[in-house]
Amino acid sequence: MVHEITRDGHGHQIGTDGNITVSLLGEGRMFKRRAIKGAGTEAAEEVCWLVTELDGVRVYQQGNHIVVTKEDLNP
Amino acid sequence: MAATVQIVEKNGAGGTQTDKTSGQIRFKNADNATVDTNNPMVKPGAGVDYSFEKWLRMNVSGGTYTEITNVKAYMDGGNGLGTGVTLYAKAVATFATPAEATGTAGYADAFTYTSGAPLTLGAGPYTSTGEKADHLVMMLTVGTTATGGITPTETLTIAWDEI
Repeated sequence: MVHEITRDGHGHQIGTDGNITVSLLGEGRMFKRRAIKGAGTEAAEEVCWLVTELDGVRVYQQGNHIVVTKEDLNP
Repeated sequence: MAATVQIVEKNGAGGTQTDKTSGQIRFKNADNATVDTNNPMVKPGAGVDYSFEKWLRMNVSGGTYTEITNVKAYMDGGNGLGTGVTLYAKAVATFATPAEATGTAGYADAFTYTSGAPLTLGAGPYTSTGEKADHLVMMLTVGTTATGGITPTETLTIAWDEI
């Protein structure tokens, strides 16, 4: 599932995977960190994390798992 | 809205693309994308047998997105290819006809590139469709301590940021 990021009428960034919605109010940025894991094998799978960053703190969301950190994490 | 991304292998002087996103990449002693047992790697009596280079690249084949940044590649950190088999990787901007490697200069052990320390392929930003970022050039060596047969598959990850 690839997240969708939009802006609402107030300019807030809204990211959702269809089940969980993350809203970023005001400054900061939101992006998708995507990956193809197992590229070059028949077991390849696509992974998408929603990343919300505010003042150097990042919220990584995938499914029901949420990580809050200042670290630069990769799938 | 998301980019449709493939990982392509490029072969021949013209860099003919083969989609390898979920297809095996077979290291061999020939420049082709075919997964077969022709032109196999050979366990040498001394030294190492070098494979032909594999030129891999991110290709955006469609979809809708604003920009892609921060393209990188990494392995799982543990070489599961077996004793005497080493996989190397480097980033190269301009395509060249894949050739049989003759040494490891310019390369690093691919398994030193992990999710915590990936190989950078390009900062971007990249837009529209087509090939993006640097090529990921990989090659494999077989040494005298290797055992015969087809090695286990390994996990290559290509990651990027997208809005």
